[in-house]
Amino acid sequence: MKKKLPYILLFVMLAWHAVLFAQERFPRPEFESGYVYPEHQMPADRAPVWEYIDLAVLIAALSVAAWLALKKRSRNGLVWLSVFSLAYFGFFREGCICSVGSIQNVALALFNDTYSIPLTALLFFIIPLLFALAFGRVFCAGVCPLGAIQELVGFRTVKFPRVVESIMISVPFVYLGLSVLSAATESQFLICRYDPFVGIFRLNAPYTMAIFGALLLITGIFVNRPYCRYLCPYGVLLNIFSRFSKKHLTISPSECTNCRLCEDACPYNAILPADLARPLVEPEKERKKFLTWILLVPVFAVAGAVIFSSLSPVLTGLNSDVRLAREIRAEAEQGIPAISQAALGFKEAGTTNAELFEKEMHIHERFRKASILMGIFLGISFGISLVSLSTRTRRTEYVPHKGKCFSCGKCFQYCPVHLNKIKNDKA
Amino acid sequence: MMEKDNIYKSRRDFVRKAGKVLVAVPVLALPVVLSTKITTAGTVWQIDPYKCNTCGQCKTHCVLTPSAVKCMHNYQMCGYCDLCGGYLRQGARTISTGAENQMCPTGAITRKFVEEPYFEYTVDKDLCDGCGKCVKGCKDFGNGSLYLQIDQNLCVNCNECAIARSCPSGAISRISDKVQYIPKEKI
Amino acid sequence: MIKLDEKDLKILRGIGTAAGIFTLIVALTMLLSLIQMKALDPLDNPAIVSVKEEFDKDHENAVKAEQVRALDLMARKAYFSSRRQLETGSWLLISGAIIFVLCQRLIAGSEKNLPSVPGEKTDQVSEKARYAKYLAGAVAVLTLGAIVSSFILRKDLPDLSGRRTAKAEKSEKKKEKGETSAYVSEETFFPDPVNFPFFRGQDGRGIAGGTDYPVEWDAGSGINIKWKTSVAMNGKSSPVIWGDKLFVTGAEGNNCEVYCLDKNSGDLLWTAPASGLPGQPDAPPDTDHDTGIAAPTAATDGNSVCAIFANGNLVCLDMDGKFKWGKNIGTPENIYGYSCSVIIHEGTLIVQFDSDEKVSVMGFDTSTGDMKWETLRRGRSSWSSPSIATFNGITQVLINGNPEVASFDPATGKELWAYEVLSGDVAPSLAINSNYVYAVTDYSRLAAVKPGPGPSIVWEDNMFTSDVSSPVANNQYLFIATGVGDLACYDAMKGDTLWTHYFPDQFYASPIIAGDKVYCLDRSGLMHIVNAGPEYRLIAESPIGEPSDCTPAFSDKNIYIRGRNSIFCISQN
Repeated sequence: MKKKLPYILLFVMLAWHAVLFAQERFPRPEFESGYVYPEHQMPADRAPVWEYIDLAVLIAALSVAAWLALKKRSRNGLVWLSVFSLAYFGFFREGCICSVGSIQNVALALFNDTYSIPLTALLFFIIPLLFALAFGRVFCAGVCPLGAIQELVGFRTVKFPRVVESIMISVPFVYLGLSVLSAATESQFLICRYDPFVGIFRLNAPYTMAIFGALLLITGIFVNRPYCRYLCPYGVLLNIFSRFSKKHLTISPSECTNCRLCEDACPYNAILPADLARPLVEPEKERKKFLTWILLVPVFAVAGAVIFSSLSPVLTGLNSDVRLAREIRAEAEQGIPAISQAALGFKEAGTTNAELFEKEMHIHERFRKASILMGIFLGISFGISLVSLSTRTRRTEYVPHKGKCFSCGKCFQYCPVHLNKIKNDKA
Repeated sequence: MMEKDNIYKSRRDFVRKAGKVLVAVPVLALPVVLSTKITTAGTVWQIDPYKCNTCGQCKTHCVLTPSAVKCMHNYQMCGYCDLCGGYLRQGARTISTGAENQMCPTGAITRKFVEEPYFEYTVDKDLCDGCGKCVKGCKDFGNGSLYLQIDQNLCVNCNECAIARSCPSGAISRISDKVQYIPKEKI
Repeated sequence: MIKLDEKDLKILRGIGTAAGIFTLIVALTMLLSLIQMKALDPLDNPAIVSVKEEFDKDHENAVKAEQVRALDLMARKAYFSSRRQLETGSWLLISGAIIFVLCQRLIAGSEKNLPSVPGEKTDQVSEKARYAKYLAGAVAVLTLGAIVSSFILRKDLPDLSGRRTAKAEKSEKKKEKGETSAYVSEETFFPDPVNFPFFRGQDGRGIAGGTDYPVEWDAGSGINIKWKTSVAMNGKSSPVIWGDKLFVTGAEGNNCEVYCLDKNSGDLLWTAPASGLPGQPDAPPDTDHDTGIAAPTAATDGNSVCAIFANGNLVCLDMDGKFKWGKNIGTPENIYGYSCSVIIHEGTLIVQFDSDEKVSVMGFDTSTGDMKWETLRRGRSSWSSPSIATFNGITQVLINGNPEVASFDPATGKELWAYEVLSGDVAPSLAINSNYVYAVTDYSRLAAVKPGPGPSIVWEDNMFTSDVSSPVANNQYLFIATGVGDLACYDAMKGDTLWTHYFPDQFYASPIIAGDKVYCLDRSGLMHIVNAGPEYRLIAESPIGEPSDCTPAFSDKNIYIRGRNSIFCISQN
């Protein structure tokens, strides 16, 4: 051993210089004993065909959901479909890729030339939206694994005061804006990162996400479908698309008798009551109010653009390159040592600080433009929601709110017309 | 009254149909707009072993425990050295297979005598947890024949790889699934 | 809705509660073990580390080896078993949860809940108006919060106001390259045109005083070569000049000497021995190839001539060669051989002592030879030489080390500031102008350091780095000649690469700015003279006909170049 020490030291000394030269230090051995090199084996490839199978199952499940919700009107059927979707899309396929996350892939593809979106991801984005346009939110009813798991644990119902509810429903809009912003600027996939249920599907998650998911599920026992209502960004799109559907789930199988028995049936407050006995109000004043709100929509859009444009430098913190640049700058200007892995990697790589800061500026520009769009989107959404809150619709029947209704079918059993129909059918 | 209702209904119908077209058009136009950027192949995450700086985050940042990143060994590049930079820990006093000399925390690398003075080193994938210590040692003091790769059968193919998000050298990127691994060859 | 009777319900309730409690317990256990793992990773815990350290101190001890092995095995077992626990735990968790949910659903499903007519119908209109108010209120609060936070969180951000103007400035610059930026300060360093007293001239800055230095000469034909001579022993040290005297050092093995030539005629005026000093080692230290121990350049201040050799001999002579004092200050052993030149400031001889055992800077009194001060430096040996500069009214000695660029007070040796800049083998000395200090070495970077207090790196680049040759800077430009043959010009303030040119030979000698030209001597002895400006323009290329690694001296319109075997005086006829 003592004999070897100087060689080890020499080795280390030489190696210090050799670190700088990326070449083979030790030549290929010449084996005399007839040694054969073992195979340099790579693990097997991932089979891409599963994504297409998922697509086929998606379309089939959406069709079955639409049929169950609209034609067959079977709540039980929808529950069993949810179980299947949870088992297949959730536990078997481990929740990835999902339609909720596909928003990010589309955003990334739209605003970056370096990314090619897989066809399956694009179709996962488009197809549930088309079904929503035709039949309402049947995706949420029995196909989305996130919705399914929340649906299945929702066996008690506690309702928020409606005012709180109306405020919390705005959160998904902000989440949608932020995740599209974050994905389009190649910063992060926020939806995937903060997906509470994917860890449960994989039975393997960073413990913070596992706890968040578990807590959300426990909450979901009482406040049903919390993620769907207060967080899901895809839900914003489904909400919008579903409003224009002609064929939608109805509470009553035929005509509504206004018996009011279904008023408290929906855990999601998605049932719009009829309002026949409306008090009379001056139409002129109402029309003026309505017009004011409509005219305010572009004002809100501009206000949103301005506010978010000024917020954009703060939002750039989503981007890891910007965070690195801030760390390096803090080191250069205030002497705070930059010791994160990213900083160490940066120093090793040898890009200059000037180049890094230039990149940071470029990213700031991108964020500014993207934030303006986000601000316009949020401004318009806010404006339109105020407009819709000031309109008066005459309804003679109890109908589900096409945007909010998840087509889950819980209300079916509350309608006596429904029961009568079954009785009459049996008779 | 009925007429008013009818007009009302038809107005609402019109608004609904117009709205339907308004939202449907951008969605249906998406495949056209993105036509040059659509690929029918899938994507996977891949580590470029030439960019990797062996920071060790492949073990800690993967959403899976244990990580889907495993150490590969290109035997053709290996020097078969007695004093292996990837097998022996820094400061190892003797050259033997004793645990006190090993770099690998899980004991995934085994050393076998071939002939004087060559030794064969093999990585047991089941024990490897992707920490990259052996890769660093091999890169700094050896030929760099040990390198990390994402095992695509263990990887769940997240939409955004959590390791890629924090990789300090940008070595992990999303690539088409046509060629899923980069076997490190001779430089 | 499945109809269940009381008995079934009771059983279901029981199973449900049991499953629920079970799930909770498993969850808590897993959480606890996770917390434990986070606190103490079995593979990385201090117990193993300390046992390994114990073993390292006494590695022949088989018992200690066994201890390490046992602990290591335990650690590995703990790691793998915890992983297995996690897996089984997850399965138990999910099964328990599923059973719980199933029971609850069945129970809830069987509860007969007849829908009842709710109370008073709420007025839709007023409700909607209420929502609108609350929604608007919430959005207003959030907007206010957003505006406020956008101002509070701005402190972390870069200067964005300059964003657009910086872009405009850059494009403007591309159009008018010749114009200098408004913020380049006036030159304040004008060295003496006659005296070139240290390595790289006055204050070690690499700038020659005076103008009208020759650009064309040819050793082969003798054009503009005033004289050529040689001294008894050769060395890698560069010539220094005071008045009419030129000083070089030379050595053979452990014997070292200082020579004085008449700079006008080339005649040898005197030779002073520098060997035989008490404390001198018996054999000279190992140096690279043919470097020898006379690599450090001498220094003169008009009263004395001081020289140091790689065996640690430090001598001080008067201008006529008479021995004033001399001693051996210890042999600075390092892998390439000691090469730090000495410099004098106001009667203090400053020695950069870099060896494997000790890295320090010392100050000696030139008249008596007493060591006035010694300050230890951090890091490892380097092969650069000190320079003198004044920043913020404070005169300081600046040294390019590994890893720090450091500044010391020449009178007391007190460290004024230091900043980590480079790593690896640091041989080039600093380039200095009125604003920044530039440090470079190969495989690290070229960095512009704003001198302290509170030093920082203003810009850096790593495309053109030198391993031996020191860069030179004035307030507008920085010039660097690399060991590969590249000559590059940077904007001294901003770091933009203004131009580069590749010459097919290496540069070891440091470039010198004389007037409006930069003189770069390559290793084959060919001097490349380029315009000291923002555009590359080769003025001339003149050979001395023999290889050279020494930096030339400039004095009185003459250039003095030391080649491997001879010393040349270049003078315009």
